[in-house]
Amino acid sequence: MAGILSYGVYVPIWRISRDEIARSVGSASMRGERAVASWDEDSLTMGVEAGLDCLAGVDPTEIDGLYFASVSSPYREKQVSSLIASVLDLRKDVYTSDFAGSLRAGTQAVKAACDGVRAGTMRKVLVIAADARKAMPRSDAEQTYGDGAVALLIGGDDKALATIEGFSTIVDPMPGPWRREEDRYAQVFDVRIDTRFGVLKNVPQAVNRVLGEVGLQASDVSKYAAYGPDARTHAAIAGQLKIDAKTQLQDSMFKDTGITGVAHCLLLLVAALEEAKQGDHIVCTSYGEGSDAFLVKATDRLDRERANHRGTQYVSSKAMLPSYGRFLTYKKEIEVGWPEWERSSVAKYWRDENWLLPLYGMKCNNCGTLQYPVRRICSVCGERDNYENVKLARRGKVFTFTHDYLLGPGNRPADGINAATRVLIALEDGCRIWLEMTDHNAEEVNVDIPVELTFRLLHEKSDFRFYGWKARPPRAGSN
Amino acid sequence: MQESIRDKVAIIGTGVTKFGEHWDEDADDMLVDAVYDACSEANVDLRKDIDAVWISTLYDWSGMSGWGAAEPLQWFGKPVTRVENQCASGMDAVRNAAYAVAANRYDIVLACGVEKVLDQGGRGLSQDILYWHPSLTWQSAPAYFAPCAIRAFKEWGWSREDMAKVAVKNHQNGAKHPKAHFRREITIDTVLNAPVISYPLTLFDCCALSEGAAALIVTRPDIAKTLVGDKYATIKAMALAVETQWPFFKPDWNGLSFTATVRAAEDAYWEAGIDNPRKELDFGIVHDCFTITELMTYQDMKLCKPGEGAELARAGVTAIDGEFPINPDGGLKCFGHPVGATGVRMMAELTKQVLGRAEGCQVKDAKMGFAHNLGGPQAIAAVGIVGLPS
Repeated sequence: MAGILSYGVYVPIWRISRDEIARSVGSASMRGERAVASWDEDSLTMGVEAGLDCLAGVDPTEIDGLYFASVSSPYREKQVSSLIASVLDLRKDVYTSDFAGSLRAGTQAVKAACDGVRAGTMRKVLVIAADARKAMPRSDAEQTYGDGAVALLIGGDDKALATIEGFSTIVDPMPGPWRREEDRYAQVFDVRIDTRFGVLKNVPQAVNRVLGEVGLQASDVSKYAAYGPDARTHAAIAGQLKIDAKTQLQDSMFKDTGITGVAHCLLLLVAALEEAKQGDHIVCTSYGEGSDAFLVKATDRLDRERANHRGTQYVSSKAMLPSYGRFLTYKKEIEVGWPEWERSSVAKYWRDENWLLPLYGMKCNNCGTLQYPVRRICSVCGERDNYENVKLARRGKVFTFTHDYLLGPGNRPADGINAATRVLIALEDGCRIWLEMTDHNAEEVNVDIPVELTFRLLHEKSDFRFYGWKARPPRAGSN
Repeated sequence: MQESIRDKVAIIGTGVTKFGEHWDEDADDMLVDAVYDACSEANVDLRKDIDAVWISTLYDWSGMSGWGAAEPLQWFGKPVTRVENQCASGMDAVRNAAYAVAANRYDIVLACGVEKVLDQGGRGLSQDILYWHPSLTWQSAPAYFAPCAIRAFKEWGWSREDMAKVAVKNHQNGAKHPKAHFRREITIDTVLNAPVISYPLTLFDCCALSEGAAALIVTRPDIAKTLVGDKYATIKAMALAVETQWPFFKPDWNGLSFTATVRAAEDAYWEAGIDNPRKELDFGIVHDCFTITELMTYQDMKLCKPGEGAELARAGVTAIDGEFPINPDGGLKCFGHPVGATGVRMMAELTKQVLGRAEGCQVKDAKMGFAHNLGGPQAIAAVGIVGLPS
């Protein structure tokens, strides 16, 4: 059998209230708020953050596989899991694969991971599910969607915080939602078809199958972590499953984050695990051209593992976007500022992977100084080609800073309005690093404030996405 | 054994265009004006008398090499070297030209610089350059220096008002200089209430984007006498120091000193035989790209101790009628900073001051002074010292 060894969550700090969206576009508000990825975030960067949360206290070299699931990958062609594997410092012979095409991609990656573990071909597999789906301005999806990521480490059940007791799938090629090669947004023919003949039919089928396999009744399950495309459909699932919506249906988080795509049912699973007791059964179920359902059972390791991860504290750690206009900017629905300078060196980015992605610094073997970036000659004593690669700390304090109005965030030409805050950080290990700051309130930046590093899009030039590290104020119960 | 070039090289002609926004002129047009003015002052003929040319420019002409001067001047068949060393480019062109003369390889040479920046569009200096690393944090030019101001505020209790005093002083001087870009006096409030460019630097803490050209004719003193009589100055020292392009990553960086300036100053003072610059020199022209840079440069040029820079500005020591005038011409604050031209212009200003030709902003009894450039991220410093022949 396989089990969940560890979990991680990431939800961007930004929220927009649905009242603000509705007021701006003249539609009806669905109430509550949704999570919004910043302009420098996407499913890849959020996936890295969830992965970091999941791997707290885990030796990355023991991981044999990394699966990345998303329907909003930043690239049509280019594997995201291989890049994330580098950032998370996994071995070079790790097996990577991207899962896509359907909102079931997350649970499908979980299934593939379990199968690998059960077959004995892989010991530990990291599954990352992340989505930052684009919604057409003024559409319902603009309110229902939310952005976020979840990571689950799947391995043998002997050290699991929850064992995976069963898994079942129903396939049903429903029409929607779909997004063609040339489409910017997903579309649906009529949500009533997908709701009535898809979600509310397929989900109970898959759930009943998995419960039947292990010989449990619907009432034996403590929580159902069920995907629903919106709050009403989610509530209706309880009726179809004949369970008590108040006690057995895990809260949909619709009012907090919105529906986070492939990550969503896994996010609800983590929320359920955070509240679960040893022996509790939880069903996690996805929907998309059918439904996957899997059953987990909490073990005695759950209590101990909780303290290692930020989990859904990322949901309560938040800041409100000031306006719908800002939301459209973050979603790249409107462009602001001067035209971009277009070039950046893809070749240098490739050559320097080791210190750019997994964030290695160099420690001189002669003078012992820890420094960044990695260069052949020590910047302090001049020693040549004699250093160790050392993984840098990801926390520190601001040594000095500026708010730069001439070169904006993401190295954009100045617009005179949006300053880029750039901070010189003294990391906890003594290394100095100069980074752009993100997710912050400029007025709160000062010498000596604590910051932590976060993996983000730096800029997009030469038609390529350049990712790297930035600084942010500590979030979500960091300690 | 290193040897000084002190008094081995004479400056006999200077040419400086008005600095400012030259929308209706090409770089070529500005360069022609500056070079012909310099030749005229030196009583030399560009085509018959000049043996070699050094041309400094940062933007616009990468790959254009010696053509940067040869084409606009239609001056062919002789050596032309293009020099680029960030904001110290102009001073470095003069330095190399001076060495060629001191080595007796050429008799009379031209060192010139020009910059055309507004044609690129946008604000600030262009960042459309591939040599920057894609993933090491970039910043604008003021953002190289603003973090130093934050450290000086913290360590020494300096303030935005202290920095503003530098801007006010330089604008007072520049208002009287016929070639300056900005010729308007300002107040402390002008600086403090201006829009922030890179916190804590406001618009008036920063020098402007500007265009212009400058040229010098350089030769040996024996030839100088035959051309201009005693109306020449001599170079006492030319020094250059290059520090890291990435100062913020240096493990021991404290933001309170620009080591490139410290090294260049040490070397220049050695070459000129100066032990106490505040006593032995009469004035200075410093690279006030930002007001904080000027205050820190007082210290790095050894005019005072670390932490005392702001006090020099507060006490009026560096005013044009003070004990040690700094930037009597108005500095980069009033001239802007056409990168390739700036260092050449500063050397021209030194020459005019010691020859008593600094119209409108003459320092009383100026016999010897220094000029200073600091380029890139606090990284490339040049110091030149010019005086009357001894």
